[in-house]
Amino acid sequence: MFNPRDIIEVLAANVRQTKSPFGIPKFMVNTWFKDLSLHKEGEYLLFTGLMYQFSPFIETSTQYLEKYEDTKTADYLKYAKWVPGYISGIGLAMMTKGKEKRKAGQPLKNIVYLLQKSKVDFGYRPELDDYSGILLYDMGDQKEFVAHAKKVAQKLQSAGIKKIITVDPHTAYALKELFPKYTGISFDVKPYFELLNFEPKDCSLEVTLHDPCFFGRYLKASDITRKQLSNMGISLTNIRNQGEFTSCCGGPAESISPSLSNEIMEKRAKELEEPGKPIIAYCPICLGNLKKSNANVEDLSSLLARHV
Amino acid sequence: MSLVNLDFAEELKEYSGDTALECFNCGTCAAICPLVNDNFPRRMIRYIQVGAREKILENSDELWRCLHCGLCTHTCPREADPGEIILGLKRFVLANWRKS
Ligand code: SF4
Ligand code: SF4
Repeated sequence: MFNPRDIIEVLAANVRQTKSPFGIPKFMVNTWFKDLSLHKEGEYLLFTGLMYQFSPFIETSTQYLEKYEDTKTADYLKYAKWVPGYISGIGLAMMTKGKEKRKAGQPLKNIVYLLQKSKVDFGYRPELDDYSGILLYDMGDQKEFVAHAKKVAQKLQSAGIKKIITVDPHTAYALKELFPKYTGISFDVKPYFELLNFEPKDCSLEVTLHDPCFFGRYLKASDITRKQLSNMGISLTNIRNQGEFTSCCGGPAESISPSLSNEIMEKRAKELEEPGKPIIAYCPICLGNLKKSNANVEDLSSLLARHV
Repeated sequence: MSLVNLDFAEELKEYSGDTALECFNCGTCAAICPLVNDNFPRRMIRYIQVGAREKILENSDELWRCLHCGLCTHTCPREADPGEIILGLKRFVLANWRKS
């Protein structure tokens, strides 16, 4: 286990300096939309919160952290906060393979395709698409979280944004529950799958759905996913911990203790693999973490985009 | 032996809701927690109830093992909100570290 204080101070310094917990400048992280011609205006703003885009960088940094956990080198982490965020961030970006970065953008392209097929009126404005600060909140750094969240919320408010589509559970929770409480600014926030509207279909498929804690439990949104899947004729296997009682994938412990995170992930992966059907995740952290167990797992958006 | 601080629950109000006193120590949260770790989070809530402020600071690293998955809060029969209490303790400990 790493010293939590060292990790928090590095994350907080990175967010302060670069608005990213990993110190990676946004132009290096957020490139998925460049070969699409997306409208800027619309009834809704698509707000990714950059979580899908961060996933390959999280994987690279976890690989390094894994090597140094519980070694003497771990003690040097406290000095990392003195390295300007963008320098360590650019280093991290360079160590991450281009192929992985491109792959991480695919769920977002799928989501755009699904929203367009459902005739949802939305726009995308990369300059307004920022990290929500959720990791700082989960780590207990309330002061830094609130300072960051205020900047993000005020920028959206000044741009006249009222309705937002989110794609991952952590950003959805931040914008829907935490922003009104801690920034005083509220938006009408909907996860993308709530807005999908397709003709019923019979795909005659069975999958195992892994509900992320924040969609399944905190936001109680797992029934919406189930309705969408059932509309496509995709049935679900019956696993013990699901919906509101879902079990964590272990992802949130990655930065503090990669070994603990792996332990929890292996347990959950075993449970999900038991019925022997493809596993569907709908959170970039869960997706990345479960992939480490070599489980047959894909993002909900990939499954839906293939079958609509 | 650690000192008991009777004002601790009051001090914590700045960082967390005051639901710790609702807890009747049934252990559901510790049984269901994916960490399966030495009566966590129940033990931490007990420390609050008895004012064992120093015990929390001594064992503070443990708090960051918590995934903030919310399963304990969802299953607590007393609505004591154990998951949010742990988050509140993280805030309290971090504030103490930064003061020191
Ligand atoms: S489940 Fe609730 S009442 Fe039971 S020990 Fe945990 S916090 Fe206390
Ligand atoms: S929120 Fe933390 S303490 Fe509660 S069940 Fe999840 S990991 Fe355990």
